[in-house]
Order: sequence, then structure tokens, then C-alpha cells
Amino acid sequence: MKYDVIVVGGRIGGSVSSLFASKNDVDVLMIEKNPEIGVPLQCAEATSELTFKTLGIQPSKRYICSKIYGVEVHSPDGTHFKMQPSGDEMGYILDRKVFDKSLAVESAKAGTDIMIWTTVKDLIIKNGKVKGVVAKHLDETMEIKADMVIAADGVGSNISRMAGINTLYGVKDVGSCVQYKMVGIDADPNYMQLYFGREVAPGGYAWIFPNEDGVTNVGIGIRDSNETAYHYLNKFISNFNGMPFEMNVGGVPLSGPVEKTYTDGLIVVGDAAGHVDPLTGGGIHLATSCAKIAGEVAAEAIKNEDTSAEFLKRYEEEWKNKIGSIIKNSLKYRKVLDKLNDKELNALARFLKGRDLDSITSTSLLGLVKESPSLVRHLKNVL
Amino acid sequence: MKFDIERCGYCGACISVCPTGSLELTENRIIIENKTCDDCGRCSIICPLGAFFVEVEKNLSKL
Ligand SMILES: Cc1cc2nc3c(=O)[nH]c(=O)nc-3n(C[C@H](O)[C@H](O)[C@H](O)COP(=O)(O)OP(=O)(O)OC[C@H]3O[C@@H](n4cnc5c(N)ncnc54)[C@H](O)[C@@H]3O)c2cc1C
Ligand code: SF4
Ligand code: SF4
Repeated sequence: MKYDVIVVGGRIGGSVSSLFASKNDVDVLMIEKNPEIGVPLQCAEATSELTFKTLGIQPSKRYICSKIYGVEVHSPDGTHFKMQPSGDEMGYILDRKVFDKSLAVESAKAGTDIMIWTTVKDLIIKNGKVKGVVAKHLDETMEIKADMVIAADGVGSNISRMAGINTLYGVKDVGSCVQYKMVGIDADPNYMQLYFGREVAPGGYAWIFPNEDGVTNVGIGIRDSNETAYHYLNKFISNFNGMPFEMNVGGVPLSGPVEKTYTDGLIVVGDAAGHVDPLTGGGIHLATSCAKIAGEVAAEAIKNEDTSAEFLKRYEEEWKNKIGSIIKNSLKYRKVLDKLNDKELNALARFLKGRDLDSITSTSLLGLVKESPSLVRHLKNVL
Repeated sequence: MKFDIERCGYCGACISVCPTGSLELTENRIIIENKTCDDCGRCSIICPLGAFFVEVEKNLSKL
């Protein structure tokens, strides 16, 4: 068996990169270890219109659970305020089990072969260049050759490690997350609720996202804590009178991209590459943007008969151009947020309540200096 | 490192922080290679469900 491109992983990073490679007339195989694409769910399913603009498609009713106008932020002392995005992009809560499958279907329609319930166990490497994969389906182990491989296998990507790319994270750099789907929680159907505070979610936040039909996604992401995310989530939901009927867990890379996202015969994309917003933990839009570039660059490389690191370097240049500054800025904000104690978070929430970000003036900031000089010191670098 | 399979949600988060490459997620099972694991405890900090337990005796003997 021989393909031009093999994509490992069949969720957003995998389906989008295989879709754009196949659209450009190359032979693509996508391999997913689970028997069903999009399952298990490991996501709170929030994204924005930008994802669909990048894909060049209209969002379909089949996977849109709710439309989102903004977020409501809750500080530790209960101060809360609503924020709308500065652009006019609509937000969405997706049904990712349906969305991920629809992307895989689009990719298959464009010509991608898909192997489900098949795990990539190893890479075929010859003279330092990736030349295919060793995959296992039930008792059958097969060698599948290819001119290049795209690793879209999620956080801690084993596949990239096999090709010599360092995907090891520090414990403070990965969000430890758990979430429930619940009924019985009364939530604004058009706003995402975010809760901050050391007692609520150390190093992260808790969320309540509205799904359809009175269902909510209630979850938590924490970092570097002695107690588990599961402990904090159960503590959080004890404040509400809701009933969980589904639980999911996952890790989110929050320190920005891995050092290098290409090598001879391989590129890495999505969570595997650390293409996640370090402030929000959102990876759907960034994975989509980078995977589109990955698919297009892979097709170009095949047409030029050059899948060397030298050629594939353009993938990294292009994604850095597209989303590099988003990740850099978010990391800067995240580092400031990490420094704030609960008192400072409360002062910040009181300051932001009723203000839109564009209306912040030096006079209004003077009031904040009086209330919490330490907060203003922390904010100095981002103001 | 001791591992309680009943507590595992098969998310793979632990693999991303294991410096010795001792963890593998295969056919929805986490497998620990005890020969290479150095009991650093990083996996137990990251695991959302608390599926890892440090083997206290082994760790004390290292001190
Ligand atoms: C709890 C939680 C909540 C989140 N909430 C949001 C949110 O609200 N909004 C948002 O934008 N982002 C969110 N994220 C992040 C988002 O889910 C990811 O960024 C996104 O799913 C990344 O997609 P991916 O395709 O790169 O990787 P993944 O979704 O991790 O997919 C990797 C795929 O590769 C497969 N695979 C792995 N190894 C192999 C192998 N060896 N062989 C074959 N297949 C393999 C896996 O089975 C999997 O299907 C959240 C993450 C978590 C954990
Ligand atoms: S204790 Fe350290 S070396 Fe052992 S499995 Fe956990 S992270 Fe890996
Ligand atoms: S982090 Fe915990 S729940 Fe996730 S795979 Fe590892 S042991 Fe299992």
C-alpha cells in the first residue's frame, strides 16, 4: 500500500488537513484509532464564525447547538459582567460528535481514504526521513508507505516524538480538564459563563456553556494543583441543582506551539503541535487554520516531489503568519492572569463591570490604581 | 508509579508530561512501563481523575 500523504488522527486537525490535501488532487489516507470519529468527546465545543470562514462553509443546523453573543465573567466574590467580542463574529456551541464526523465526510468526498479503528504504532523512517507508518487494525499489522505524514494525533503527540520532535510539556503547561453534560442548570442560552478564583479553579477557570434543550456543558480546567480537576468540578457543581449524564476528560496544551512543527517527511498540526489559545484553551479555530495550511503545503510538496524539511518549513512560516500573534498575545495575558490573587481578580471584575474595553481611559485607570495598586502593577505590561 | 485503571478516562493527558516515555495509550488502555518510569510524579499532577498514585516506599528508598 502506498499513499502520497498519510494523516494520523481523524478529528479537526486530521480531517481538515486531509480535506485540503485531497482537494488539491493528492492521494491521502487518514487513520483514526477510535471506531467512531469525534468520539469520545474531549471538548466544550465553543468556537466562532472564524472557523467556518476558514473552512469556506456555512455552519449547518445539524451541529450548531446554540448561538453565542458573548461571555459572562464571574470573579471569586460573585461580581459578574458580560463581555462581547470586539468584532461582530457570532460564537457557536457545536455538537462536535456531529461536526467532527461531517468534516471527515467532506474529506472522504474530496477523495480521502479513511481507516477507522486502526492505530498508528510506528513510523517508517529511512535515512532520517519519514516514509510511512506501521498501523494495526485488530490482529493485523501493516506497513503503509507514503511520501509524507501529517501528525494530528492530539496533545503529547507520540507520532511527532517518533520523528524526533519534542512534544514534552511541563506540568504547568497542560490544563487538566474534566466536564459534565448536565440537565437542570438554568443558563443564559446565548452567553458562556466563566468562573475564576483559586478556590474554584486554580490556574484556570470553570465554565457553563449552554447546549440545546436545557442541556449545559459544565467543566473545569486547572493547572498544577494538589487536588484533581474532578475534585474541583464536583465542588463547583454542588452550587447548582443539576444532574450530570455524561463525563469527559482531557488535557490541553497551554504554553504555545512545540519548538518545531516540521521535519523531513512530517508535519505536525492541532493539539499535537500546541495550536491552542493559551488563555482560553480553545483549539478548534487554531487547529482548523493550521490544518488547512498543512493540507495545502502537503499537496504542494507532493506536486514538487519534495517533502524535505527544507520544503515543509513553509508550513511553519505560514501558520506563524496566520495565528502566531494570537498565541503570543494570549500567552502574555495568561501569564498576567496567573499572577493575580482573588482580591485582585475581584478588583479587576469591579473595574470592568459596565465598561467596554475600548472605553478604558487613563482617568478611569487612576481609580483602579487607588483601589488596587498591585493589580495595576501586574497589568502594566498588557495595558 | 501505581495506576488505577478503574479511574482512567483514557484522555492521554499524562503522556504529554511523561519525560521518560513510559506511558502509552493503546486500545483505550494506559500502559505504564515500570522499568523506565522514574516515579517523578508528573503524571499524577496532570491526571484529571487522579488515576496515579506514587509508590511511597519506592520513592522513600530513593531519598
Ligand atoms: C475538556 C476540554 C474542553 C475543550 N473545550 C474547547 C472549546 O470549548 N473550544 C475550543 O476551541 N477548544 C476546546 N478544547 C480544545 C479542543 O478540543 C482541541 O484543541 C481540538 O480538539 C484539537 O483537535 P485535534 O484534531 O488537533 O486533536 P484531537 O481532538 O486530540 O484529535 C486527535 C485524534 O487522533 C487520534 N489518534 C491519536 N493517536 C493516534 C494514533 N496513534 N493512531 C491513530 N489515531 C490516533 C485520536 O483518537 C483523536 O481522534 C477543549 C479541550 C478539552 C480537553
Ligand atoms: S511517574 Fe514520571 S516517569 Fe513515571 S509514568 Fe509518571 S510521568 Fe512518567
Ligand atoms: S491523564 Fe489520567 S485519565 Fe487521562 S489517560 Fe492518563 S491516567 Fe487516564
